[in-house]
Amino acid sequence: MMSEVRRRGISEPTIERLRLLRRRTMATWEVYRQNRMGMIGLVTLLGFVFVSIFAPQVMWVLAHIAGWPSTYGPFDEVATVGRGLPPTADHWLGTDFRGNDILARTIYGSRVSLLIGFVASLVSMGLGTVIGLFGGFWGGWRDEVLMRITDVFLVLPWLVLMIVFATLLPGGPSVMKVVFVIGITGWSGTARLVRAQVMSLKSRTFVERARSAGAGDYYIVRKHIFPNVFPLVFANSVLTVALSILSESTLSFIRLGPDPTRVVTWGNMLEDSMAGYAFLNELYLWFMVPGLCIVLVVLSFTLIGYALDEIFNPRLRRR
Amino acid sequence: MKAMTRMIGRRALNSIITLFLVIILNFALFRLMPGNPVNAIVPPDPRIPAEYKQHLIDEYGLNESIYVQFFTYIKDTLLFRFGDSFSDPGTSAMSIVLDNLRWTLVLAGTSSILMIGIGMAIGAASAWKRGSLFDTGSLAFTLFFYAMPTFWFSMMLVAIFATTLDWFPSSGALTSGTQFEWKWPSILDLINHLILPAASLTIGAIGEFAIIMRGSLIDVMTEDYITTARAKGLRERDVMRYHAMPNAMLPMVALIAMTLAFVVGGVFQTEVVFNYPGVGYLTIQATYDLNYPILQAAFFLIAVTMIVANFVADLLLVVMDPRISVV
Repeated sequence: MMSEVRRRGISEPTIERLRLLRRRTMATWEVYRQNRMGMIGLVTLLGFVFVSIFAPQVMWVLAHIAGWPSTYGPFDEVATVGRGLPPTADHWLGTDFRGNDILARTIYGSRVSLLIGFVASLVSMGLGTVIGLFGGFWGGWRDEVLMRITDVFLVLPWLVLMIVFATLLPGGPSVMKVVFVIGITGWSGTARLVRAQVMSLKSRTFVERARSAGAGDYYIVRKHIFPNVFPLVFANSVLTVALSILSESTLSFIRLGPDPTRVVTWGNMLEDSMAGYAFLNELYLWFMVPGLCIVLVVLSFTLIGYALDEIFNPRLRRR
Repeated sequence: MKAMTRMIGRRALNSIITLFLVIILNFALFRLMPGNPVNAIVPPDPRIPAEYKQHLIDEYGLNESIYVQFFTYIKDTLLFRFGDSFSDPGTSAMSIVLDNLRWTLVLAGTSSILMIGIGMAIGAASAWKRGSLFDTGSLAFTLFFYAMPTFWFSMMLVAIFATTLDWFPSSGALTSGTQFEWKWPSILDLINHLILPAASLTIGAIGEFAIIMRGSLIDVMTEDYITTARAKGLRERDVMRYHAMPNAMLPMVALIAMTLAFVVGGVFQTEVVFNYPGVGYLTIQATYDLNYPILQAAFFLIAVTMIVANFVADLLLVVMDPRISVV
């Protein structure tokens, strides 16, 4: 029978599982659509994702509509270098002291800000989930060891930890380093959350049944515990992306982020505006627009996170 | 009672272990720097004499084995000895950090009291009038400020109230060149410089407390003893004041310790924007000058503060709510 199934390429159980997954996703989507705040967040976020993916095209279209002399990139010296200039018809948000167009930098800045947000939270969620899963599942001394390490990261203020790691880790400032620093300092909350969930799952009958059928630790965690923890992790990870984007902007603001002459993020634009005395020269758009972008993106992730949380943790729904 | 003592003992042991791990982290991180630590930590500045490097090598015991170094390090840490600040030789890093700590305490203390007080009041009011316009409004307010980087909010306040309106000074803790003294002009000057940074910290964090207070109070209001109190014919206001509020405060105690970590992060950012001479400003300057003793001393001091704060919160919780010690 096995060979018969194999000939068709995908095994029957896999197809069945995919069908189930699709049905579940559709059902979740139906509930999600009812959540107005969640939808506002999703649409806003998709807007930002679109602009970041098609940044050069967006600039091209804008240049053609507005009749700018050329399309600007984020590092093109298109104006006076050395001081910021107020907005003109050719540079809607003005230019900064690098001579770069601020609108171009804002649009391209969405790329790295979003990328760091996603990848860093992937790192921290992965780390937190693995540590929480095994800590909770093993229990005993191994759990103690993992939890004491978690405590260190939980107790220390995130910004202080990030500053110390970013200053001391070898290698110059780069996107990779920022991702690593945010990932390594941001996993402790997730680990706690996952561990608590695993501990309550562990004593449930389906786990005992699997064990009595001879399943090993790794198998049980993978097949029985993880799928049940996943929804929680998923809802939580959306909130983590918001935190990671905030972390990136803060790190860049205190000059521990990627090099602003080669990588543009909203955070290092804000640092530029401080260094370029945007206040004194009344170049308000220089820091208002990138800051507002951060607020909107973080807000949309938060709204999506809360909407997902309501779906996956219905206990809270009535509140 | 016995269970309670055992509980407290375990929490104390955990705190000590956490502290020990922090010391190890501090030791390991500062040895991750590539090459000879002294070459890495002393900036290539001709003004720094060669004897100073040798002095550092001896002082840190860098020609000893790693084990000897580790134990020396632990001993020094426990005695709060982190060496002299690079930027002003002859002054110990710890004393500089402690000096700056006063300003951080002024700023963080004022804003913490304000954010806890206002946050709890708003949370209680939202829970009481659940679903009202006020409730929805305060939730929206909370989400909006949660999404806002603290440093950016500080920048906006400077742009509006310092640069444009010129109501408050934009930087420093006192008018530059003056020293603080317990006289009215000086105290007013301090308050004048404190308003904007404290406002930026407070407004950003009110929501955090409001949300938890609201959730906690809503939980309590569904308890049977609230129904009983109402059935006895108590006025709604007295039910709130004597039956609901005291119990709803419990989770707040744990939260206050946890939010301290959050407040520290905010203080750092606010201090940078306002050039407020606290620990945050000092630490971030230290990352620019690679002033490692300052960085180490500040990191250790903050870690100890946080561990103690968490331990105290745990103790308070156990004392206030004996049910916890059974778990």
